[in-house]
Amino acid sequence: MAVYKRGYQRYEGPRAPHAERLLVLPREAWRRLTAQRIVTALLALSCIWPLLCALFIYIANHAELWAGLDRGFSRLLAIDETFILTFMKVQSVFSVLLAALAGPGLISPDLGNQGLALYFSRPISRLEYVLAKMAALVWLLSLVTWLPGLVLFVMQASMAEAGWALAHWRLGAGLVLGFWLWVALVALVALASSAWVRWRLIAGAVVLGFFFVLPGIGVLVNAIFRVAWGSLINPLQAAYGVWCALLGAEMPAGLSLLTGLVSLALMGTLLSLALERKLRPVEVVR
Amino acid sequence: MTARFRLRQALVIARLEMKRVFLARRSLWIYALAMLPAVLFLGHAIQLRYELREARQGGVVAPAVIETVETGMSEQQVLDVAGKPGQDRERTIRRSSRREEQGKEIFETREVRTRRMIYFDGSRRAYLWFEDGRLQSKDVRTLLNFAEDQEVYAGVFQYFYLRLAIFFGCLGIFLNLFRGEMMDKTLHFWLLAPARREVLLAGKFLAGWTAASVVFSAGALVAFAAMLWPHIGAGAEAYWQGAGAGHAARYALAAVMGCAGYGSLFLAASLWIRNPIVPAAVLLLWEASSGFLPELLQKFSVLYYLQSMCPVPAPLEQDVPALLRLILAPAAPLSPTLALLGLCAFSALVLWGAAAGVRRIEINYSTD
Repeated sequence: MAVYKRGYQRYEGPRAPHAERLLVLPREAWRRLTAQRIVTALLALSCIWPLLCALFIYIANHAELWAGLDRGFSRLLAIDETFILTFMKVQSVFSVLLAALAGPGLISPDLGNQGLALYFSRPISRLEYVLAKMAALVWLLSLVTWLPGLVLFVMQASMAEAGWALAHWRLGAGLVLGFWLWVALVALVALASSAWVRWRLIAGAVVLGFFFVLPGIGVLVNAIFRVAWGSLINPLQAAYGVWCALLGAEMPAGLSLLTGLVSLALMGTLLSLALERKLRPVEVVR
Repeated sequence: MTARFRLRQALVIARLEMKRVFLARRSLWIYALAMLPAVLFLGHAIQLRYELREARQGGVVAPAVIETVETGMSEQQVLDVAGKPGQDRERTIRRSSRREEQGKEIFETREVRTRRMIYFDGSRRAYLWFEDGRLQSKDVRTLLNFAEDQEVYAGVFQYFYLRLAIFFGCLGIFLNLFRGEMMDKTLHFWLLAPARREVLLAGKFLAGWTAASVVFSAGALVAFAAMLWPHIGAGAEAYWQGAGAGHAARYALAAVMGCAGYGSLFLAASLWIRNPIVPAAVLLLWEASSGFLPELLQKFSVLYYLQSMCPVPAPLEQDVPALLRLILAPAAPLSPTLALLGLCAFSALVLWGAAAGVRRIEINYSTD
């Protein structure tokens, strides 16, 4: 056929299913995340604490290793909600650091290079775009949060006497559910900062600032006004309150499950609105 | 080229940079962070003054009167001793109770007449709660507590201002000095100017340090003034004429030196490391955990020297678990002069390292 006769022709070949096409985005984002050596290094570093916890569980379940020691020692080695909360607190710090390093590179390059119009010219909604980008980060954060936590729970269940898992199912369920909430919040913060701050370094600092400065402001409000509601703007405290309630541990002062959940939900809503406002497929031509 | 000429060059660079640091839109959040404690203290002061005015309007009783009132007294007895209360509110509530009779649980609801009287003695408010004419509880709250407010200020300054506000503020200001120019693709203009790289570094550091010092020391001083405001006429004047002015100066000095310490570190990190967020995060965790480290290691943190300059030791954090409290052993503070000299030496050393970094810097606009 002559070249001048080649007009526009719609692609008529086989098409991949919608979900499969959508998976291209997280796959590409994941490839970009793991290409950063610092992310891989931090991922490896964040495995140290779960390994130490596994060692702790092993020692706690082998009474012959500490048979000569007094009874008070056995109380220290209990695998209970305090142990799980300590594990969660340490791993949540690693998850924030990972999000500060990996998150900023997810959306800002698309925005900076005016690539959103290209994305949204395909059959992808804004929600799908956000979820696809989030999926890569959520998977990365899952590797340091609920997945190792679940492994530890299964390990303890298999080493302890029969029926332990059934009697302590709340620890496992609380750990997974608590971490899911946490991972969703951290991922939203990372994506929102990536969308609003074009410079990756500052976007990383914004993620750190959200999880370190906001708690500081909460404590500041509580100290100056002698109130307790300042904890509601503290994401760490709100999440900790929810974890305590889920695990059946003693609640921190001034917090309940409801207030913790409301606080986290408000933060999530505000972050989602911030994302929604920034992710518009508009190209500005000057 | 004489040292004097280089100094003049550095000052010119600092003057040009200062405009960029002070007036940039990117710096607005730093102003907000620096002024936040001042705004909150001001809000607290306004709230206190309003409460005091309201309490004084209701009348003031002698402090001894509040002490004589005890639970179990009748309403009339309290009125005879203390006179007409500042606020008086009566209402009837329904209260449910449960009792057992012949093995059966019986629920009863009865009406209770309650009354709340509030007395004010000039600095304290006494909330008296009566049920059926008898005093059930007495809650005395101090409205004006100067010593407590000073302690709160010390805690806010050392836990929020030094560890978070100045830390993140300096991160924003000093990363912007070289990395910001790299992002704006304007660094080559500076490198083409006939000035040594070390002079450029000195000029930029001077600009960043001046801006950060002005913003954060002003924030600390305004917050200090806002803390004193409600206590004017209740001990603040005597405090100011005594140790107060010296305390304010030491807080301002700690803020200025905090900007020098953290600023030099972040400037050096931005020149040596491609992603300075990693050392920033490590430094943040190191500084946060410095109180738990052995005494020798605590001396390797900027915070140790800054806290030595503060006039009032920070109160212990309330939410520290008991086990961690056991290993919390803050090192003995240095004298303020030694702390000042130590921080100056530390900043000079870090800047010397940064000078080596700026000599090897190459334009690479694609990395950021």
